[in-house]
Amino acid sequence: MATATKNVGQVTQVIGSTFDAEYPEDQLPSIYNAVKIEGEHKGVKVNLTGEVSKHLGGGRVRCVALGSTDGLMRGQDCVDTGQPVSVPVGEATLGRVFNLLGEPVDGRGDVEAEERRPIHRAAPKLTELSTSTELFPTGIKVVDLLTPFVRGGKAGLFGGAGLGKTVILTELIARIASEHGGYSVFAGVGERTREGTDLWLEMQETKIGDTGRSVIEQTCMVFGQMNEPPGARLRVALSALTMAEYFRDSTGADTLLFVDNIFRFSQAGSEVSALLGRMPSAVGYQPTLATEMGELQERITSTNSGAITSVQAVYVPADDPTDPAPAAAFGQLDAFIYLERSISEKGIYPAIDPLASSSRILDPQYVGERHYAIARRVQTTLQRYRELQDIIAILGVDELSEQDKLIVHRARRIERFLSQPFLVAEVFTGKKGEITSLEDTIRSFEEICDGKWDHLPEQAFMYIGVIEQAEEQAKKMAKEAS
Amino acid sequence: MAKARALDKRRKSIRNIKKITRTMELIATARFKKAMDRASAATAYTDRITQLVADLAKSGLEVSHPLLEPRPETKNAVLLVLSANRGLCGGYNGNVVRAGLGRREELLTEAANLDLEVSGKRGISALKFRKITPTESFTHFEDQPKYEEVELIAKRYLDAYTLGEIDRLEVAYTKFVTISRQTAVVETLLPLGSLQGASDDEKEEPEATGESMYEFLPSAESILQEVVPVSFKVKLFKCFLDAAVSEQIARMVAMKSATENANEMIKHLSMTYNRARQSQITGEIMEIIGGVEALEG
Repeated sequence: MATATKNVGQVTQVIGSTFDAEYPEDQLPSIYNAVKIEGEHKGVKVNLTGEVSKHLGGGRVRCVALGSTDGLMRGQDCVDTGQPVSVPVGEATLGRVFNLLGEPVDGRGDVEAEERRPIHRAAPKLTELSTSTELFPTGIKVVDLLTPFVRGGKAGLFGGAGLGKTVILTELIARIASEHGGYSVFAGVGERTREGTDLWLEMQETKIGDTGRSVIEQTCMVFGQMNEPPGARLRVALSALTMAEYFRDSTGADTLLFVDNIFRFSQAGSEVSALLGRMPSAVGYQPTLATEMGELQERITSTNSGAITSVQAVYVPADDPTDPAPAAAFGQLDAFIYLERSISEKGIYPAIDPLASSSRILDPQYVGERHYAIARRVQTTLQRYRELQDIIAILGVDELSEQDKLIVHRARRIERFLSQPFLVAEVFTGKKGEITSLEDTIRSFEEICDGKWDHLPEQAFMYIGVIEQAEEQAKKMAKEAS
Repeated sequence: MAKARALDKRRKSIRNIKKITRTMELIATARFKKAMDRASAATAYTDRITQLVADLAKSGLEVSHPLLEPRPETKNAVLLVLSANRGLCGGYNGNVVRAGLGRREELLTEAANLDLEVSGKRGISALKFRKITPTESFTHFEDQPKYEEVELIAKRYLDAYTLGEIDRLEVAYTKFVTISRQTAVVETLLPLGSLQGASDDEKEEPEATGESMYEFLPSAESILQEVVPVSFKVKLFKCFLDAAVSEQIARMVAMKSATENANEMIKHLSMTYNRARQSQITGEIMEIIGGVEALEG
């Protein structure tokens, strides 16, 4: 851009993580344009990118700061870049870690990308979408049976604080990405930086299948973690998504997009919303909550040119799934996994609630009659058990009818059988991770429902893979007891 | 809002349950007193007559009675299970059915032919669930079994035994030991001889004082003829009485703990409800204040 046409304004007001700038009336930067402030005042260096989000009138625009506003002062020059924030895309981004501006933060030098793309784009058109209904096995029993993932679809992990959302997400990366031939993109949105580092190191160690190449070589990561200002957390998901879209549209490869945690995106939006002068809506969220979520989620989709399979963690504030932020994300997903505190309190991990979780493709049309019938049987048994729980708590198990006693007996075994040792938890539990094939999963649950394993103690069903391991575990337990 | 309302609804339904269990506890207590009086009145008589028969059998007389003699071979056996007509009495029915079925497995290997008879709707339905059809079932015994009714059954057994149609009669019931202890047991009532083992603790005393305490008029034989069947009937009646008392105690205990559990749950739910309500109010206030602030700013 020639210096003559450079559009320069002045900072007129700084409010928390937003700021106002004044431009000549006829040269206002467009909405979503990136503006840059570079300067130094009293030894404090400022290098800040902002995004125009509102025209205030009188030549003033209000911008969301995408970095820290420390040291920013009125009167500083504010340069309009003439385009939205853009990030590098393409093969060059693989194996690297970025911030939301597309700058590498892994200390390995610059990224030589041929192309940069703006992070704001329209969602694919109606006619370009592909509607895939192919099951995507994960090797996790409870997920495959009750909430089967869709290849090229979106899955959400909902859960309150400390229920293991990040662990399940990491586990899925370990299971899927290591088997997967295509590209993966990981977006760290407002979560712990330490977890991001853990994941980055782990990806360098994990190998893809037998190829001897590490997972990181097929992955790019974008982080805007907890310590960053709300503007960064608000846009980092878009940056990651833009990189994933490139892989989908240009290479046609199956792309995986992992987001941890989509709730922070809504949260960041609510943090800047009041500063932008919007009236708060229900529970203090921004009135544009659904719009923002919709704009993001509609772009995460599979088109005729390629597929994006996405897994997103969604924090549920105060364990209340009716909170507007998780509720807005809920409607966008194909598979919906809900983590329940009462299950994690029993020591059953993954603490997936088998009744609240669901999947669009759990339908005989897609998964087959047998799978569907068994999944429903498991759910009915557990549902009945849950209904009986109040009676049991007050009157005791003895008051139940014989039929109900049998249901309780089996439901307690099913409940425990839904636990599974994780690959990523090997170092903590000392138990080898179990990958259970879909066929084994279905057969195991069918046999429990049929009462073939009624004789084994409940504890034998904890943390195993296929059902036959329960017998071994029961024998081992009996030996230890004697 | 939805959450608070659901909690309140649940709390109300548990309050209702509590009312019921509390009432049932009171009723069971009253019934237990009555049944207890009847049972303890019968106990003295039963113990005495049992002792008498035992003494007579031991007195070294040559006379014997068919009811006292164990048969060399058990071809046809009868197992009578005494359960309750009603539930809500904790493990009472479950335990006695389990004891009965355990014994049934053993008897099936010993005896060629086993008739299973059961009293009480709960026992009947438990067997039905296990796909076992009892040969005979009674549902007319409530918390105050009548002697005449029991005698009818007893007579039938006696006749069958004398005719050799059955060789063994066992009863599974809940034995009343003390107010705080009742156990599900299986006892052999026919042949009566093996009954001595059941009242072991009281046997030592009369043994010491001795055998020749009795003088028989007109003859030992005729007395035995009379006393032995009565002893059997009384013994069977005692089983029914014990079962009835135990049922009331079991119900009392079960309902008491149910009421306590309900109280506990109400306490817990109230706490959660209050918290939900509080946070809901806080949320609404914050929304209003936030809205006002936004309008002013």
